[in-house]
Amino acid sequence: MDHTREQEKKEKKRKKKKGRLGMWTLHILQHAFLVTAVVLVVIVLLGSYVAVDTVKGTAAYQLMGVEQDVPFEESDVFNTLLGNSASDLICYGTIRGQLETEGQLDIKKEVDVTAFAGRYGGMEPEYITARYYLDDLLKWAQAGFSYEEVAMSGEDVDRFLSRSRTVTRINLEDYDGGRVSYLNSDLSNATTRVDVSGNLLEEGITDRDPVNATVLNNRYYTVDGKRIENHVSTWEEYYELCRNVQKAAEDLNTNYNEYLKYKEYYDPENTNVVYFIRKTIGDQVQVFGNMETQTESLAGLKKELKEQCGKYLYYNAGEMEYETNTRIEEGTIRYIINGYEYSYPKDTQIMIGVRSDYRARDCFYQANEGFQSFLPYLWQYLTGGAVCGGIYLLLLILLTMKEGRAERAADGERIFPGQPQDRIPIEPMLLAGAGIGAGFVLGIKMLVNLMWQWASDSLMIVFAGTAALLASLLFSFFYYSIVRRIKAGSIWKESLIRRLIFAVVKGVSYAYDQSDVLLRVWGTFIGLCLLNIGGGFLLAYFEYNGAVNRVLELIVVFGIFGADGIVGYMLYRSAMAKQVILKGIELIRDGDLTHKVREEGMHGEDLHLAQAVNSIGESVRTAVETSMKDERLKADLITNVSHDIKTPLTSIINYVDLIKRENVQEPKIREYIEVLDAKSQRLKQLTDDLVEASKISSGNIVLQWEKINLVELLNQTIGEFSERFETKGLHPVLNAPKGSVMIEADSRRIWRVIENLFNNIFKYALPGTRVYIDLEFLTEDEADRQIQLSVKNISAQPLKVNPAELTERFIRGDESRTTEGSGLGLSIAKNLTEAQRGRFEIVVDGDLFKVNLIFPLIQES
Amino acid sequence: MTNILVCDDDKEIVDAIEIYLNQEGYRIYKAYDGEQALQKLKEVDIQLLIIDIMMPKLDGIHATLKIREYSSIPIIFLSAKSEDTDKILGLNIGADDYVTKPFNPLELVARVKSNLRRYTQLGNLNVENNALFTVGGLCINDDTKEVTVDGESVKLTPIEYNILLLLVKNQGKVFSIDQIYENIWNEEAIGADNTVAVHIRHIREKIEINPKEPRYLKVVWGVGYKIEKQ
Repeated sequence: MDHTREQEKKEKKRKKKKGRLGMWTLHILQHAFLVTAVVLVVIVLLGSYVAVDTVKGTAAYQLMGVEQDVPFEESDVFNTLLGNSASDLICYGTIRGQLETEGQLDIKKEVDVTAFAGRYGGMEPEYITARYYLDDLLKWAQAGFSYEEVAMSGEDVDRFLSRSRTVTRINLEDYDGGRVSYLNSDLSNATTRVDVSGNLLEEGITDRDPVNATVLNNRYYTVDGKRIENHVSTWEEYYELCRNVQKAAEDLNTNYNEYLKYKEYYDPENTNVVYFIRKTIGDQVQVFGNMETQTESLAGLKKELKEQCGKYLYYNAGEMEYETNTRIEEGTIRYIINGYEYSYPKDTQIMIGVRSDYRARDCFYQANEGFQSFLPYLWQYLTGGAVCGGIYLLLLILLTMKEGRAERAADGERIFPGQPQDRIPIEPMLLAGAGIGAGFVLGIKMLVNLMWQWASDSLMIVFAGTAALLASLLFSFFYYSIVRRIKAGSIWKESLIRRLIFAVVKGVSYAYDQSDVLLRVWGTFIGLCLLNIGGGFLLAYFEYNGAVNRVLELIVVFGIFGADGIVGYMLYRSAMAKQVILKGIELIRDGDLTHKVREEGMHGEDLHLAQAVNSIGESVRTAVETSMKDERLKADLITNVSHDIKTPLTSIINYVDLIKRENVQEPKIREYIEVLDAKSQRLKQLTDDLVEASKISSGNIVLQWEKINLVELLNQTIGEFSERFETKGLHPVLNAPKGSVMIEADSRRIWRVIENLFNNIFKYALPGTRVYIDLEFLTEDEADRQIQLSVKNISAQPLKVNPAELTERFIRGDESRTTEGSGLGLSIAKNLTEAQRGRFEIVVDGDLFKVNLIFPLIQES
Repeated sequence: MTNILVCDDDKEIVDAIEIYLNQEGYRIYKAYDGEQALQKLKEVDIQLLIIDIMMPKLDGIHATLKIREYSSIPIIFLSAKSEDTDKILGLNIGADDYVTKPFNPLELVARVKSNLRRYTQLGNLNVENNALFTVGGLCINDDTKEVTVDGESVKLTPIEYNILLLLVKNQGKVFSIDQIYENIWNEEAIGADNTVAVHIRHIREKIEINPKEPRYLKVVWGVGYKIEKQ
């Protein structure tokens, strides 16, 4: 037996351990799945962008999932990059045209500043300009242009400005499109320079207006070693030329910087892009490119391009020819060229291609790497992430159901498993959860922002995994604690708010309960009066002041209403409590001694009252129970004793009778025998009456209620007693109303009452007298009619006893105790009458002995 | 010779009963507890048993229950227990009569006789007669106007006879004094009277062994009189 129990215990323990182990495994799995899901999502997020180095810096491109089945060369990214490269190269071509001669940077290149500054717009066929060396302009722009204010007199001005201006004329008819443009001006021998005298000055006007002039410091001189002011004859011309010089210098400087970048970026060593640009302006041909080739002819170049490059585009502006195997459209290229229209003549050929071996580590190489390493696995990543996320959610649901489930203890009581943190009240727990959660999210956000700049993808993934693990742990910590609380039902029970409310309520009730009754009632009343009056004054004051603050006013009104309401509620509760107490008192008064007034929810004097009522009821109940028990014990004792008496009594009676039969002649002995006979018979009667009396007074009888006709009963009784009465010359006289008089009683018990009364009369009435038996209605009140039965006779002996004592047990009118009778007759009659809802009265008037029985009548329909 | 077994743990009571019953010509066997009584019943052919209830070894109630398994002889309980419940219990478990101690010897003898008569004679009485009314041991022959109780003839006055006949014919029904008066005298009962009650008492004294505890003509106090249906 013990052995198996031991085994069972072990088995249970093992199972419990196993169950706990299982839970732990599930928890760890849950964390693992969340971390995996987050890592996969981060991989997708990171991989879906590829960062590449472009001329303008690092740029990120999105790799779309829809391009999964497309090779890199067909992707958006590739085409975007190629388009950007085309744009770069067209721009680069322009800049090279400006800075190079014969494909090499030419710092001694002469620049026509007005033509350059106005390269975007059109030009006058005849314009004032100055020519500088390129390096001078660049250095000037880098050093900065400075002006100074000079006050000049007429003579000063005349000395400062030239008397004639130098004008450049473009030979219109010779050139492309017949337009005056930058391209044309750039060509050698395209212009004629002429000195023209100022219009007015030629006519001998020598004096000029004195001015405050803003004069440019000539850091460098023109190609012919002149200053700006030497080329112009008026201030207008001077200022314009100054502007042009400055603009040209600054633009060139900007372009020079760009040029350096492009040159580095599109060096054949650094790029996979192959390009070739040829511009033909007039008889002049400009060629730029990074193709390593000896071929000169366009067709040959084109062929070579196709051979070298997997992807290429070819554009011949003059022939309107466009050829490509990329997704870049002709319109795109033309649009780009339009931005640099001034530098591209009609006869322009552009070839751009990308070497498909990606030998240089440029943007194409980077994009290809990112593309190849990510896109083929995108769907796997996404599916994996979704599956892990799903499993996480399933585990969450499963664990939510399992966590905190009650365990059956050995004694059948339910035990809710808990962790130490479950004992922390819910409010600080939630607050801490929210705080830590918010801090965590903020911290992650900041770290991500910081790390984004420099961290490698793998570091970011590790970081994301760690963050996810931490988040999962934190979430589990708070979430499952709350789940366990909900299951154990302890959220509200152990919350601070509840404790606070309870403490306040308890404190108030304690103070209330401890105070004096008078103070409680009057204090409440006076406090309420003061509050109302004060509130009224306050409101009046507000109103008088023109309602300073409506909100304040409302608060006061609601405060008064609230206080009134609370006091009203307290009064209501007190009244209810008194009602309950009153009911309880009535119930106890009416005999329900087990009733208890409910003390819960009572306070102050009500509680005291209820406790007092309950304790009174309790003591009454105990007293009654004790007395009932005593009576019952007495009755039992009497019954048992009477049984024990009856057996020897039987022998006495029998043997006395046998002696009587022996025909004893001796008169003395006959007399003795008579005494024995009489006394043994009396003893018999006595024991019977004793049992009956004790039974009635201890309430040990069961009544069988019937409708009884008192007239019939009296007639029956008189009939029964007629002959015995005759022996004593007693004459019964019955005065009864006609018809029947119905009461409710137990037939045999009411007979016992009447029989006892008649027996009494037979024993104690003066022989030869009349016995009056009167039956009369007591009241005329229809609702509660009563009948009174009076039995009157003249006593043979003087009655010396108090009538009340006659119904006490063993009391008889003559006190001699020699005559027959047990002394219990009247006591039994009285008790039986009262048991049958009747009243029993004895009236003694001289020798007149009168018994009144009063019963309620049955209302007969 | 009729054999009667008397069983009581009080030897003097048994002896006294023996004296009374010997005088009536019965042969008495004695026993002092229930087991002895059962033993005696096996040894001797007993026609009637008088047995006390409270006895050592085997009490009267259990002894009676055993006897009733094989015998239907009349059994009279003789007990100091006088409560109604005791009587009802005794009669219900198979006793034919119940006499409380202390008893009137004459009453006991009368009951013994009555029970024996019923057992030995009336048990096989089976006369088909429309004018014959019986209630237990009480028998009224309306042809001969003869009334017998346990076979013993009883003399009644004409009015007593008529009252008894009315009650026997309507066994179980309760008649009030007025109803009996109107039935017998054939005139309206004006004013309650105790005449009927006196007659009833006379009838009871004639047909009952103990008029205070009537077997046949019962008084329903405050209501009327009836013959108990049996």
